[in-house]
Amino acid sequence: MKLLSMSGFIPEPICDTVRFTHYSGSRNISHYCGYASDFISQVMSDDSIDGAVFPHTCDSSRIMKSYMSDSGKFMYQMNVPIRGDDIAVRFFAESIKDYQRHVEEYYSVAISQDEIKERSELVNRRNAAVRELYNDLASVSYAQYLEQIHKALCLPLAEQTACISGVKKAGSRGTKRAFVVGSFLSDTDIAAKIEEYGFVVVGDDLPESGRLSSRPEVTPETDIYASIARSILHSRISPTQNDFSGLIRRDLDEMKQRDVQAVLFISQKYCEPYEYLYSVYKKAMNEAGIPILKLSFTNSEDSQKADLLLESFADTI
Amino acid sequence: MAQSIIKLQASLMKDYYKNFSKFLRGKTPETKIAWVTSFAPVEILEAMGISYYYPESYAAVIAASEKEQPLLAVSEDQFLSCDCCSYSCCIEGCVQLQEGPRGVPPKPDILIATNNQCSTLPNWWNILAKRYDVPLIVLDYPGERIDRGVAMEYVTAQHKKLIEELSRLTGNEFSAERTEELIQNSRKSIAEWKRIVETWSRHDIEPTSLFDDISFLITSRCKPETAELYSMMADQISEMPETTKEGIPVFWTGYPLWYHPDRYLRPLMDGFRVVGSNYITWWIIDYSGKDIFEQLFNAYNYTFLNLSQQTRNKQLGDVIRRSGAVCAITLHNKSCKCDFVSARDIDIPQAEIEIDMIDRTFTDEKKAVAQLDILRETLCR
Repeated sequence: MKLLSMSGFIPEPICDTVRFTHYSGSRNISHYCGYASDFISQVMSDDSIDGAVFPHTCDSSRIMKSYMSDSGKFMYQMNVPIRGDDIAVRFFAESIKDYQRHVEEYYSVAISQDEIKERSELVNRRNAAVRELYNDLASVSYAQYLEQIHKALCLPLAEQTACISGVKKAGSRGTKRAFVVGSFLSDTDIAAKIEEYGFVVVGDDLPESGRLSSRPEVTPETDIYASIARSILHSRISPTQNDFSGLIRRDLDEMKQRDVQAVLFISQKYCEPYEYLYSVYKKAMNEAGIPILKLSFTNSEDSQKADLLLESFADTI
Repeated sequence: MAQSIIKLQASLMKDYYKNFSKFLRGKTPETKIAWVTSFAPVEILEAMGISYYYPESYAAVIAASEKEQPLLAVSEDQFLSCDCCSYSCCIEGCVQLQEGPRGVPPKPDILIATNNQCSTLPNWWNILAKRYDVPLIVLDYPGERIDRGVAMEYVTAQHKKLIEELSRLTGNEFSAERTEELIQNSRKSIAEWKRIVETWSRHDIEPTSLFDDISFLITSRCKPETAELYSMMADQISEMPETTKEGIPVFWTGYPLWYHPDRYLRPLMDGFRVVGSNYITWWIIDYSGKDIFEQLFNAYNYTFLNLSQQTRNKQLGDVIRRSGAVCAITLHNKSCKCDFVSARDIDIPQAEIEIDMIDRTFTDEKKAVAQLDILRETLCR
């Protein structure tokens, strides 16, 4: 079973998935966000993948099933609530059960409650390892930190903590304290360029980093599904969770704590949640007196414009 | 009879627009104001005495008034990318400048967004919430993606929570009885609109009037005047002689072009006759159910754009077959990815035209003409 997953909303305690990071082959879909398009392309062209699991949280992810339905592979679109209250937790718990049922039926496996609890504990340990590094981000190379997380997310869950714990403390050469905002940073070359131009990343709200580190533990309650749902929904929020004010407030608090001098807002072209977020995020940064640079890319490997923009921006800090 | 139709249309529009710009100078509206997305459960709001407005619909009016370009430019100055939905860019410009062809909608006390049309609308409503510093309620409709019982429980819990919050906001009690009456009004409006949709193409009626007249079903579906208006229109249509117009019967798949006087590319479509449109069927929603909560669940959870591709294929296929269209013009709408993918599996020849429903500068007319020529040739072979 090799399921390609997109998004931190996919409940890892149910079964192993391989997190989609980037794609290098022929691109088939051009008018949706590059990350979603590349995900579709990989599922359709990679014979080693036998299934895909993805959310329904933005317009690009919403239409993905329509493009992959002829693949002949396992397809599951996760019902991720776009609100975070108790009503949503209960619903998401049911969605997680539904996901489990579909995996069991398609792959003729049985996933026990004990297995889910064990996997939840592995998730907790993995997130704790990310948190430990995140809380002292300036002491590691940001590019290597992200590379290692991306590598870990493609491994079986049982191997992920060791992989992340392998990130070496190297210290940063940069002096301009930066905060990174964005969706999954597929191309870690961008992280390397950020450091090359004198920035030291001291915080972020990327799904694979800041958000993952903020995830509350899954606790061994009577209802493990509700616990998993609560853990995912009560992490630092994505713009798809529809609380831009809360998201910005939380980020600003962290920026003040970490003495941030600049914000790097990195997103895919046609990514509506981040485009809308940027319009209010920019205003909030202007009010706070924190310079912000927006980098927008067309697919999971596109970093062409980054050099010029980062260099110019660094000169202003 | 024609006079009565015009009077009813004028009366509904006057009622809807009467408060635009009225409260700019600090006067307080008599009722609480909500800005809602097109498939919000407005029967609940109406029952609780809340006035509601549709920014999407107003963006269409702005484009129809040829005023969208300066507002789109202002929106970019406000850091909202022109890649975003043009409805939102248009309204962002309108509220920033406090200008519009009919004024500006009254400031909201609450914002209500749903995702049963697309996932962009809740994102847009978030930036309105930041602008106006008012509560935002997001209603999450899971569609067909999960067991019906689970979906209904989730949606009903949200509707009940919405009622509690609106009650706190207004101090008004919720009346199930009144809501039932309003749902019945919506049903009647839809039934009469359906009569129009099923018969118009047999007569000398341009789709333009349907694209414009559906606005009452969107903004005023639970008002009794809407059913009355559509009933008169349907009766009038039934008395008209059948059309003798010729032309290749074509289905218009996608939004109307709000900036265009015909609402579609009529001048470029020599030899074609539009006989159907999916847009005019979107608000034909089904309020079946044993109580108001089941009725609201069925109506708002199973909107066309919230259905699975498989169900949409079937429904769209049925609508196209009934229309008699032999080909389709499909809008690859810059502002709406969700609609475009609906046409993915239709099995008649189609011309896919890159266009935007609001921004008139987006279309490459020469390319559109070439695509329509190819479609014409394909059918004439």
